[in-house]
Amino acid sequence: MKQRTTDIAVGLFMLAGLAALLFLALQVSGLSPKSAESTYTIYADFNDTGGLTPRGKVSMAGVTIGSIDAITLDTETFQARVAMSINANIDNIPADSAAVIRTSGLLGEQYIDISIGGDMESLAPGDTFYSTQSAMNIERLISNFASGK
Amino acid sequence: MHSYISLKDVVFSRSGRRIFNGVSVEIPRGKVTAIMGPSGSGKTTLLRLIGGQLQPDSGQIMVDNQPISKLGRTELYAFRRKMGMLFQSGALFTDLSVYENVAFPMRVHTSLPEDMIRDIVLMKLEAVGLRGARELMPSELSGGMNRRVALARSIALDPELIMYDEPFAGQDPIGMGVLVKLIHDLNSSMGLTSVLVSHDVKESLSICHYACIIADGKVIGAGTPAELQEHPSEQVQQFLQGQPDGPVPFHYPSPAAAADFGLAGGAS
Amino acid sequence: MIDRIASFGRSGTELVVSLGRASRFLAGVLWGVPRPATGFPLLLKQLYSVGVLSLAIIVVSGLFIGMVLGLQGYTILSDFGSEAAIGQMIALTLVRELGPVVTALLFAGRAGSALTAEIGLMKATEQLSSMEMMGVDPLRRVIAPRLWAGFIAMPVLAIIFSMVGIWGGMLVGVEWLGVFEGSYWGNMQASVDFWDDVVNGVIKSVVFGFVCAWIAVYQGYDCVPTSAGISSATTKTVVYSSLAVLGLDFVLTAVMFGNF
Repeated sequence: MKQRTTDIAVGLFMLAGLAALLFLALQVSGLSPKSAESTYTIYADFNDTGGLTPRGKVSMAGVTIGSIDAITLDTETFQARVAMSINANIDNIPADSAAVIRTSGLLGEQYIDISIGGDMESLAPGDTFYSTQSAMNIERLISNFASGK
Repeated sequence: MHSYISLKDVVFSRSGRRIFNGVSVEIPRGKVTAIMGPSGSGKTTLLRLIGGQLQPDSGQIMVDNQPISKLGRTELYAFRRKMGMLFQSGALFTDLSVYENVAFPMRVHTSLPEDMIRDIVLMKLEAVGLRGARELMPSELSGGMNRRVALARSIALDPELIMYDEPFAGQDPIGMGVLVKLIHDLNSSMGLTSVLVSHDVKESLSICHYACIIADGKVIGAGTPAELQEHPSEQVQQFLQGQPDGPVPFHYPSPAAAADFGLAGGAS
Repeated sequence: MIDRIASFGRSGTELVVSLGRASRFLAGVLWGVPRPATGFPLLLKQLYSVGVLSLAIIVVSGLFIGMVLGLQGYTILSDFGSEAAIGQMIALTLVRELGPVVTALLFAGRAGSALTAEIGLMKATEQLSSMEMMGVDPLRRVIAPRLWAGFIAMPVLAIIFSMVGIWGGMLVGVEWLGVFEGSYWGNMQASVDFWDDVVNGVIKSVVFGFVCAWIAVYQGYDCVPTSAGISSATTKTVVYSSLAVLGLDFVLTAVMFGNF
């Protein structure tokens, strides 16, 4: 009988741990069960990525549609090459769309916003954005403003 | 006389101190052998050497024709099922009841059905006169009862050899009498080879068939109790009679008393 | 001066020797994985005393730490007008750092010291020796279930700690100070990543559980079998575990969250 009580208590203990993990997964980190959805990768070259980091979000019209995978330096053009994975169900991004680095709020994280173009063609997996707009650099902005350019 | 245990020229030292310096002992099968000696002479260490818990620096220890110090870990653990040992403190598992304590070796080493275990446990407890105490916890037992339960536990698997580590230490006269009777009965009824480590000369000599006395890392006397009483060595006689001074001096080795008390020469 | 250098060297050697012994001991324990049939009930019993009985202190501490985080976070964040970020702050602090670390420290004090004292006392009363003489390996029978129990119980306790803390933070932030509940959870979900934050926190607590349980059982097994020896072993368990946890936490944090 004593042994049985112990068994039940330990069982409940492990269940509580599992429930807590589930809580952390769903309620705290907002992990949705459909997280294993398929994505495709496209690229964009920037002159300056500023504070962009991997895991940052990629959005379109304010809606998150993917995330940044990697940021590397292209040693020929000396531009930053950003690889991002886009949700597979958004497969009709116009080919002449532009990738713009924006900041959420005044001091928030930087992310990539895709401003939509008008081309009938869509970007295919592995394609690169034709036009990009680099990060807004406050120092450069101020110096531009001060020198009146 | 056939030896069950034989130690040859065993040398053992611990933390730089030599405890045995060439000890040779023969322990016959099916008899009670007492190993006696002053406190600190390494009697308990001798039992641990026989049980394979310690390794000698040199020399050979044979138990039932097996070189115990050369056995591998698995063989050693298997071999120990043939041994029982009664520890000075009893060493009962404090989180188990008396019944479970005695059942423990069977539960671990055998797959006997529960009702059979129950019968054996009650038999063993009956043998030490504690069948009625089976539901108690070790902390509820007196020191003597503790040791008797431990004795029941060490004979649970019907060993060939049982070693008693200071079974009489700290017992009242009745408890001592009970243990003397138990050790004697177990030996005569089950034919156990018994090794008894003690410094209680009277009790030990009353039940043992053979005895040997260890002091200063050596065997200083061995034989039947009668032979020992006639032993020519002064050291043996001092130990057996319990004289305060003799070859084993009353004083711990020290500088001359006069120097310590500052009386030497008067010019300090 | 020479003496001092010599004694420094000696204590260094001592350290290496005891580390070596602890590792050999660990290998002995892990080598003797108990057979499932006999080992599982023993493990359950230890999980009960190490895990279930530690639950109360974990839940109460978690609740209070969450509530304090809520209060402090609100005071600081409201200066910037961003008290809505309180959920994010509480969740990240708890899941990444305080959950694993505080749980490990409490565990070392509550369960680790008890393990050391229990094993030390078993050694002092010759229970371990008598087990050996019965042909039962105490490393397998006594030590292994306790080590595994600590190893398993720690992450579970840490997860529960984090959950209770986040709930306690909500109690203060939302119920008392009036942060909008939607933004409490919303901000949290936007910034906490399951793999990078929650799972890394769990990995931390797994490491801490292993180290704490190892230190506790080793100190018990290796103690001088006297009352003074046991008390010093218990102290050592708490001190060494706490130091190991804090030191390892830095290393793990640097590896997991440091971008370099």
